[in-house]
Amino acid sequence: MEARIKYAVLLVGIGIIIALLPFDTSESFRLKSNELLSKSISDSLYLSVDQVAQMMNKEDSTVQLIDLRSAGQFKECNIPGSINIPFDDLLNPRWEGTFNQRRVKKIFYGNGDQTASYAWTIATGLGYKNNFIMKGGLNEWFKTVMLSQFAGEKISPLENAIFENRFNARRAFTQVNSLPDSLKGKYFKAKEIKQLKLDGGCQ
Amino acid sequence: MGPLSILSELPEWINLLFAFVIGIGFGFSLEQAGFSSSRKLAGMFYGYDTTVLKVFFTAAIVALAGSQLLSYFGLLNLKLVFVNPFYMNSAILGGIIMGAGFIMGGYCPGTGICALSIGKVDAMIFVAGGFFGAYLFAETYPYVQTIAMDNYMGPMRIDAWLGVSPGVFTLLLILAALMLFWLAELAEKKFSRPDITSDL
Repeated sequence: MEARIKYAVLLVGIGIIIALLPFDTSESFRLKSNELLSKSISDSLYLSVDQVAQMMNKEDSTVQLIDLRSAGQFKECNIPGSINIPFDDLLNPRWEGTFNQRRVKKIFYGNGDQTASYAWTIATGLGYKNNFIMKGGLNEWFKTVMLSQFAGEKISPLENAIFENRFNARRAFTQVNSLPDSLKGKYFKAKEIKQLKLDGGCQ
Repeated sequence: MGPLSILSELPEWINLLFAFVIGIGFGFSLEQAGFSSSRKLAGMFYGYDTTVLKVFFTAAIVALAGSQLLSYFGLLNLKLVFVNPFYMNSAILGGIIMGAGFIMGGYCPGTGICALSIGKVDAMIFVAGGFFGAYLFAETYPYVQTIAMDNYMGPMRIDAWLGVSPGVFTLLLILAALMLFWLAELAEKKFSRPDITSDL
């Protein structure tokens, strides 16, 4: 048999095998279940609302806050600098660029801990690095940051630092969320990181 | 495990080193395949030499089948592989300009640099023209921006567009490639010219 016919048969054979492979391999979890478990029981995946408030105040560019609530709830109020990825929409390929940045800390939050934990598990399982959960979600944020008050005679330097951090976060939160809807929309549009477009390919 | 550049925490210079080594290998293979000759490349247009089609289509199906097998065995996460975003207008317009430049100059950008590195004078002028074109594009970008950015289709994949699984698409492309190889050989017989291998 001629060499080119042999190669043709080989290629078609490989093609048929690939076509018959049972599942779309590109969607599968990358981490094995025990690896995922050992990652998820470590405490380092949680960030407290105070830590998040501090990052927000510093406008830390290595941090991406991700709001997992619905678009309507997000519009009502959200932590400044966050983008909205509703939990149902998590696997939409358009967010690939946001997740696929190992140097950016992705901090998930919902109303409580539950959706954030789900999202963390999925994102980490799919092989994305540097995912975190804001402990307690927005409920905790309101309780700790928005309603924090100081009552008493003396304030220690540590308490003062914490209080100032919360106070600044609260001010930014109120300012951004009281913007008219049109301005808010523009602000968040600009915030969305378009890694896919930035990365570029080359022939 | 893969793609290495995303999943491993390698420093940037190692990633660049990979690119350098792969680039050298790519250039070397191009030169060995005779792609530093503009006559060989122009042969594709006139039909007397279809090596270009065979080489690039072979590369495409090998890479396609290979990456799917690697992903099946868990060695490569295809979700993390960069997919070029598709701007329809730019693709069509750019394709026409690139094709015209290709047949006029006798090189594509990669083979142009390949021929330049073995000292061909026409390639030097070709590459200089390429740089000038890039400069011109950058300078006039604000004026062509709306055309260039129009009809943005996102990081599109043909298998998703056709509604078939990646595996079935791989098989279809392999069949298409074999068919094209066969047609290409027919064309080579029809438009044949004297062999130029000895003067390359």
